[in-house]
Amino acid sequence: MTLAHERTSQFFEKTRRERRNIVTPEGVPIPVALADHSERFTAFALDWVIWTLLLLAIYVPLLLVAGFGSFTLIAISIALFIGFVVRNIYFVYFEIAWRGATPGKRIVGIRVVDRAGGPLLPSAVIARNLTREVEMFLPLGILLSGGKSAGGGVDLMQLSIGVWLVFFAALPLINRDRMRGGDLIAGTMVIALPKLTLLSDLVERAAQFTFNEQQLRAYGAFELQVLEELLRRPPTPAGSVVLREVCDKICHRIGWTSEVPQNQLVTFLRDFYTAERAFLERGQLYGKVRADKFTPPALPT
Amino acid sequence: MMAMIDAVDERLSSALPAAAPPIVLKSSEFRKGREEGWRELETLVLRFERRGVRDLSLDELQRLPILYRAALSSLSVARTIALDRNLLLYLENLALRAFLVVYGPRISPIEGLRDFFRRDLPAAVRSARWHAALAALLLLIGVAAGFMLVLQDEGWLTSIIPSSLGGGRGPSSTRADLLNRELFPPWPGAVATFGYFANVLFNHNTLVGIFSFGLGLAAGVPTALLLIYNGLVLGALLALHYNRDLTVDFLGWVSIHGTTELGAFILFGAGGLVIAEKMLFPGPYTRVENLALHGRQAAQLAVGAVLMLFVAAILEGGFRQLVQSTPLRLTIGIVVGLLWLAYFSLSGREAKR
Repeated sequence: MTLAHERTSQFFEKTRRERRNIVTPEGVPIPVALADHSERFTAFALDWVIWTLLLLAIYVPLLLVAGFGSFTLIAISIALFIGFVVRNIYFVYFEIAWRGATPGKRIVGIRVVDRAGGPLLPSAVIARNLTREVEMFLPLGILLSGGKSAGGGVDLMQLSIGVWLVFFAALPLINRDRMRGGDLIAGTMVIALPKLTLLSDLVERAAQFTFNEQQLRAYGAFELQVLEELLRRPPTPAGSVVLREVCDKICHRIGWTSEVPQNQLVTFLRDFYTAERAFLERGQLYGKVRADKFTPPALPT
Repeated sequence: MMAMIDAVDERLSSALPAAAPPIVLKSSEFRKGREEGWRELETLVLRFERRGVRDLSLDELQRLPILYRAALSSLSVARTIALDRNLLLYLENLALRAFLVVYGPRISPIEGLRDFFRRDLPAAVRSARWHAALAALLLLIGVAAGFMLVLQDEGWLTSIIPSSLGGGRGPSSTRADLLNRELFPPWPGAVATFGYFANVLFNHNTLVGIFSFGLGLAAGVPTALLLIYNGLVLGALLALHYNRDLTVDFLGWVSIHGTTELGAFILFGAGGLVIAEKMLFPGPYTRVENLALHGRQAAQLAVGAVLMLFVAAILEGGFRQLVQSTPLRLTIGIVVGLLWLAYFSLSGREAKR
């Protein structure tokens, strides 16, 4: 039954968000939407830009102080080391301090949570971020260095690194929960967390139009919520055309013979919504749940 | 206006003989009674999300869990009595956001890191002590095998150690070569290559270690093989020096960083073996579930191992060239090794979990 509003979302957005339930310690399941691959990639790219700028802010003064003559192997290795430290501190710090969100994730609106619904522990954060080092930066570093093995030629090591890289890059694509290696090991998942606002109740108290039980038996929860969604849209010319169509369909189905004037259109639909919702909610209280108009209606009481 | 409504009423009354009673929706009444609490919770959660815990007063912090539980029970009720889609979505979203605030970790990053290194990491190592022991045994088998092979025929050396890692050492190396170039190289050259050397080794070792960890997924066979192989390399080099009567000097040269580095390999191997065990014997769970349950422990072992490799790289790149006396090198190596052992076996023991 709780799926009715998700079905409506699917109807309007055409795409379906993968959902998982986490059960709170109070025993209430709350659905969470998994973050899309594109969202996660965008968040990562944003983070990448931020810590690269951070690194530049560290490198440039160092380079100015040390002078360009010191651009040696030792400087490169120190730079690599600083890069490693900054990158990991960045991710670990923010994911602990901001409870699962780095600046990039925050901008995109996604967040790391514990898969079982527990708190996000520092050890999990450290584990999932150090694993990123393994999945991504270490093999990338090797590949970017051009695979200059001293022995010459492509050796087994380089080949296995290639396989490693492909496998880990593909990991979020090939499992249901879109986990990368770090998520798998740390027991975390990344969810989308938009902020929703509570809109006013559509229920109309002083009804101008009344409907009988026979008429209200025409629809189920799904149609009711589609109607709700349409009524909640800001009024536009195109929107009122849709409402007109919906109104005509409803009138046809419930056998409403009299014409509904254009200036009464919204009032009529809101009254119908109110009456239909009251009818369906009362039925639901008595255990007569009706998902949509195709499921057979409950017997009249 | 009135006339219009009257007209409609007239039409309606002609369509419906009985006058309908005023509509009262339980879900609407329910919402009216609780909406204020939800809005209050939403404001608190939003402020918490924006500016963190410091933005809330003590009073508000005490209200937060109460409001959260109220919203959660509202959600449960709304699911059974309400068909208002916006309300249901809003309550689900609010409950989730409040849940993340109320049950979020309540420690600062600094505290979190301190706890991790003082308590979690040693505890993870302790609980994998048998895996670590097995990894150490595999490494020792490798050392023994490598030693035996090269002792009989130094030709084995080239097939065991790839030329890229051999550093010019091979069957043709003389005692003087090894002594002057490898074990006690002149000082200035060493300092110039410190960072580079340490980094290259860090990368190579980390990769090998991480392979032995990650390949635990393949039932642990590659893990065991990599451990034995690492042992083989060490054993082979040992035999090379043994044949040239440099055993003690070599042990000093190796031990200054080797106790740390081998410890890291053992931890990586132990992590791989933990993963392999959880894969092979999932118990009452599915394999993936079991891996997720215990993966964190294995990952902590890998974190510890990376840490050790850092220390090893610094010891190897810096201290080995600074310290030119074999007894001193041996002492440092053994002391550092004992320190690791003490850290992993003692740290955080008293803390309650």
